[in-house]
Amino acid sequence: MTAAFELTAFGVCASIAVAGALGMTTTMSMFRSGIFLMASFIGVAGLFILLSADLIGLLQVMMYIGGFLVMILFMVLVMHDPGGAMMAGMDMAPLERWSSLGLVPRQPSEAGQDGHRQGEAGDQATATGHGGHAEPDEPRQGSEAHGEQAPAHDGAANAMPHEAHGGHGEHAARQHGHASHEHEHGGGHGGMDMGEMDMSMVTPVRPLAAWLALGVGIVLVGMLVLRPAWSVSDALPDPDSARRVGHLLMDKYMVAFEGAGFLILIGVFGAVLLARPSAYPDDASRGARVAVDAKPEPIRGDRLAPQAGADRTAGHASGHDTHHQHGGDAG
Amino acid sequence: MIASAAAVVTALLLGAGLTWAVERLFARSGWDAGPTRGAELRGGLDLPNADRWLLPAGPVVALAGVALATVVVPFGPGLIGRDLGIGLFYVIVVVDFVVLGLALAGWGANTPDSVEAFYRIVAQLVAYVVPLGLAYVGVVMMARSLSTVTVVEAQRDLWFVVLQPLGFLLYLVTGLMQSYRAPFLEPFADSIGGGVLGVTGGWSALLWRVALAGVLFVVAAIGAVLYLGGPSGSWLPGWAWMLAKTYALMALMLGLGRCVRPLSTAGMLALSWKVLIPAGLVNVLLVGGLILLGVGPRA
Amino acid sequence: MTVPLTAYLVVGALLFAIGLYTVVAQRSAVMILMGVEVLLNAIGLNVVAFWRFTAPGDYAAQIFAILVVTVGAVEMAIGLALVLLLYRQRRTAEVDAYADLKR
Repeated sequence: MTAAFELTAFGVCASIAVAGALGMTTTMSMFRSGIFLMASFIGVAGLFILLSADLIGLLQVMMYIGGFLVMILFMVLVMHDPGGAMMAGMDMAPLERWSSLGLVPRQPSEAGQDGHRQGEAGDQATATGHGGHAEPDEPRQGSEAHGEQAPAHDGAANAMPHEAHGGHGEHAARQHGHASHEHEHGGGHGGMDMGEMDMSMVTPVRPLAAWLALGVGIVLVGMLVLRPAWSVSDALPDPDSARRVGHLLMDKYMVAFEGAGFLILIGVFGAVLLARPSAYPDDASRGARVAVDAKPEPIRGDRLAPQAGADRTAGHASGHDTHHQHGGDAG
Repeated sequence: MIASAAAVVTALLLGAGLTWAVERLFARSGWDAGPTRGAELRGGLDLPNADRWLLPAGPVVALAGVALATVVVPFGPGLIGRDLGIGLFYVIVVVDFVVLGLALAGWGANTPDSVEAFYRIVAQLVAYVVPLGLAYVGVVMMARSLSTVTVVEAQRDLWFVVLQPLGFLLYLVTGLMQSYRAPFLEPFADSIGGGVLGVTGGWSALLWRVALAGVLFVVAAIGAVLYLGGPSGSWLPGWAWMLAKTYALMALMLGLGRCVRPLSTAGMLALSWKVLIPAGLVNVLLVGGLILLGVGPRA
Repeated sequence: MTVPLTAYLVVGALLFAIGLYTVVAQRSAVMILMGVEVLLNAIGLNVVAFWRFTAPGDYAAQIFAILVVTVGAVEMAIGLALVLLLYRQRRTAEVDAYADLKR
């Protein structure tokens, strides 16, 4: 492995890891958030492989691709607006705009159409204003990235009250008393009829959180840079490290290995017990479940566009019939 | 490095093309075509709600996964992209990218049918991934290595299909699930308009076709390596044996799959938990017994 | 090894900061779970980097990393089950709606 290749690989993997994590926390779409997190983990897996711990790297990819697809499925089940279609047209910080690129805003109900248009125009203005800002926000390796990250967090912190107001108007204003000087920004989206849902994805303490994370990052990186270097050993690890790890797992660390297996077993049992529909008639969750099944909650302003390829709508219904017959026969 | 990458891509394209030919042989009118259904190759479809990043990313991710998996397939003595020490584990991991790509495209297209296909794909992943791992474990126990080359060498005297018929059957079923062929083609069923394939057009339809044919090719090739001795054999050169075994296994899988009524996703999950996983555990137990009795390749 | 140990540790520190921000700032329980995953991942990266640079002959660090990944998976499964259960009762996945649980 040449030095140039190693540097390039490190740069690519590290920027995927950090940019994926940033995208995870800033994008408007929950689905994309999961995909960004998966990208971040694949980047870290690349770093593992670069550190010649290839078994851990592959294990990480395997666990997280399967695991996160299931997690995304749950998010889609549980979230309002998992695709971010309602949030996509709103006021966003530059970083959020970058990580939500390509999302198609869904048109809200007619009542809010005018306000929305107006708001979009405003968005365009801010977008051009911050246009030069969005590109350098993507962090790179090393301590340089740190200085660049500061404006991103700043921007995110400042944009918080805009977004909360846009989504919710009065209710949000009540929640963030400290942000009252931002009242006038609520005007653009005031006409949108979002119902009673609070669409904002972040809590009112978001500026605090941004500063906290920034502080922790600065302190950690500063400590790393200022600290005298660790004594680095030049020895090369065994290229077939999987064999060595396997021997250790079955020999010296057998108890830890069995403990991890037991933990997984307990986890599976716990998850099944917690999530299974209850059989007791007086259980509140059962009542909630029956109510949900009987009358699905409509999402307001939810207008799906007509299906692409309308020519197969005719064959669709008959296809469904045969499909059900198949299911019946198999069962 | 560039030369070996080109060789791997060529192998993948050739394999996918020949797989396509085998599939056409087995296709009949009136059957649900599944992943081999015809898609519009000439022009793109207009999807107003599609996510403009995720939808085109899908086929690229899937194809990258298949191409990466081809790297460790031994097509003959010396004809291997890279002999990794953890090759078989690498194959399991990398083929997962196909699922990821299908999920990206299914969600990104944002039509009711494609989102339904996304749900079914994830459920199918949950159904096959554990029994698939168990089908690999028996072979790995006997060969004492995860490297594909070592697995092939361990079968010089006797193919593992003779020693582990249960594991071979398990691999056939889970391999069909992994490559979305009948009877496990629910994510591409006609009842949801072909799922992801129903919402692709143009170059992405072409990429999907290569990726979905390639995944069947990789599954059959790895099956030949695991249970049929891979490129080893007398009279003929190694690559001829490997290709013959791969296509024989592919034809066996496609032919057997067409004898069974298509399963729903819930049926697949029930099959997985009630039949395949217990069978896989029994297989591991039997293989362990055989190893204790001294049957199998000498260490 | 051209890339120094500090570079890997800086990546780990940045991931840790982002994970911390996600845990504090996000409103939905699923996003908080994802933030915890990023935190665990930063820890795993640090463990493996220290193994490679200071004690490459001792494979115990890899076992520790495997355990971290395992704990992450179990945490995700249990956390999702809890979120699903709470969602059934409260019809929301936002942690602010669960505030009465601490009484």
